[in-house]
Amino acid sequence: MKKFLRTYLPFASNELKRNMAYKGAFYLFTLCSLFGSFIQYYLWMAIYGSAQGAKLGSLTREEMVVYVFMSYVTSSLTMISVSRELGRDVVKGSVAMNLIKPIDYRLSLIAKGMGTVVYHFLIPGIFVWIGLELYKVFILHLPAVSAGNILWYLISVFFSFLIYVLFDFCFGMIAFFTTYIFGMQMAKDALLSFLTGQLIPLSFFPGIIQRLFDFLPFSSMVYTPVMIYLGRYRPSELCFVLGRQLVWVVLLYLLGSLLWKQVTKRLVVLGG
Amino acid sequence: MNKIKRYGRLYRVLVSQFLKTILQSKVDFFIGLIGFFFTQIMGIAFLYLVFEQIPDLQGWTLDQLIFIYGFAQIPRGIDHLFTDNIWMVSWWMVIDGDFDRYMLRPMNVFFQVICEKLQPDALGELLVGFALLILSISKGVVAFHAADVLLFLVSMIAGAVIYTSVKLFFASIAFWVKQSGPFLQVAYDMANFAKYPTEIYSRAVRFLITWVIPFAFVAYLPAGYFLGQRSAFATIGAECVIAVVFWIIAYSFFQYGTRKYESAGN
Repeated sequence: MKKFLRTYLPFASNELKRNMAYKGAFYLFTLCSLFGSFIQYYLWMAIYGSAQGAKLGSLTREEMVVYVFMSYVTSSLTMISVSRELGRDVVKGSVAMNLIKPIDYRLSLIAKGMGTVVYHFLIPGIFVWIGLELYKVFILHLPAVSAGNILWYLISVFFSFLIYVLFDFCFGMIAFFTTYIFGMQMAKDALLSFLTGQLIPLSFFPGIIQRLFDFLPFSSMVYTPVMIYLGRYRPSELCFVLGRQLVWVVLLYLLGSLLWKQVTKRLVVLGG
Repeated sequence: MNKIKRYGRLYRVLVSQFLKTILQSKVDFFIGLIGFFFTQIMGIAFLYLVFEQIPDLQGWTLDQLIFIYGFAQIPRGIDHLFTDNIWMVSWWMVIDGDFDRYMLRPMNVFFQVICEKLQPDALGELLVGFALLILSISKGVVAFHAADVLLFLVSMIAGAVIYTSVKLFFASIAFWVKQSGPFLQVAYDMANFAKYPTEIYSRAVRFLITWVIPFAFVAYLPAGYFLGQRSAFATIGAECVIAVVFWIIAYSFFQYGTRKYESAGN
């Protein structure tokens, strides 16, 4: 364990430092992505204003405010792309260097991802989160989130992060077959924003599609942690959704190992 | 006149060169198309799901919103198709010193920038835009008269010019700070606000997207004319004025920037 940490911790801390170095650009990108949340916020407020009932998709207006901003925080913590770097390494051929080093390439990517998570947690995660709670307590006059919910939320977010990076690692292996990763990334991001509940709570989908989502890993990436944060699960359900996340971590890990073995067999690097 | 002919001929040569590179990598072309297509389609799926729950959105029907959404995609796609290279200027060309070669050739610099690249990914946006438009017309949401076709074309071009002006302006900042990609990204993303009726936003946001970065004039306002809510003069007329004004500002800023340009060297 100690050796494991000694090997992979530097990846995480280097990534954190690298992120810190290019602060200016990052602040602007953060602003960009926050715009998206505000568009959502205004849109939802207009939608609730036009609704007859108090609840839409089983969420009240106040819960929707929390949903919009917490899904932003959650996705900034969990949806850390490793496929971009994998793609770059494959296209440039530098993946060969990583294959001959005595480390697990995938673990090194995940460790780097952890570094980014820590950074996103500091900026802007924690600020948006605190801002949201203050808004909730002082403007909406609702009780603040309980410590228990925060704890379960953080555990769930950690699983979500693993599910996402393991999935993204599998996805990134497409780079072995095509060099134009950018277009694939766009398509993936668009689909995932929908399937994970980032764009709209999954409870808005027709029942039969929701059933289908229960059998896919995507709902575990954003929707599950946010619903835990909102305290929508009873203790027994909570165990079930966390268990389901864990199952996906294991399944995607195994799938990734399998695929990686297959593609590296046929890898040919010229130069690099 | 001769000059225009010369530029026209050059553009044809450069574009045909570019088309050859697309033909060479058909898979990439297709993937890019799919990427942008999906991104836009998800927005529509979102609207469908929401309208399962509500009869209308502050008086707007689903059909009307879809029309505005589709209408917004076309100028965006046109601009994306023709001037995508501006992104390269803001991200890499100035900082890498690649911009030098534009300065050395006896041709208009802006012309050189835009003719270096056509972005086929934009066809994804155009596809969605036209599909939604045809859907709206077939459903009778909008009635197109003969004269409207002309107004529609004018509005599309003016909208694309607004997009290009915003991109050019923010890319030009790179002449001073070397890399202006993040600024451009922020400004460009403001366009996402314009996919929905601006009434749903707070005053400050509305002011920002109307007068500072005028994306409200690209889709929401002119769409109002075709939905039969406002006169052509107040919508498409205003759009054209805004397009011209912002183009002049952006282009002079760009020109001023190229004079200030100092090569990053190598």
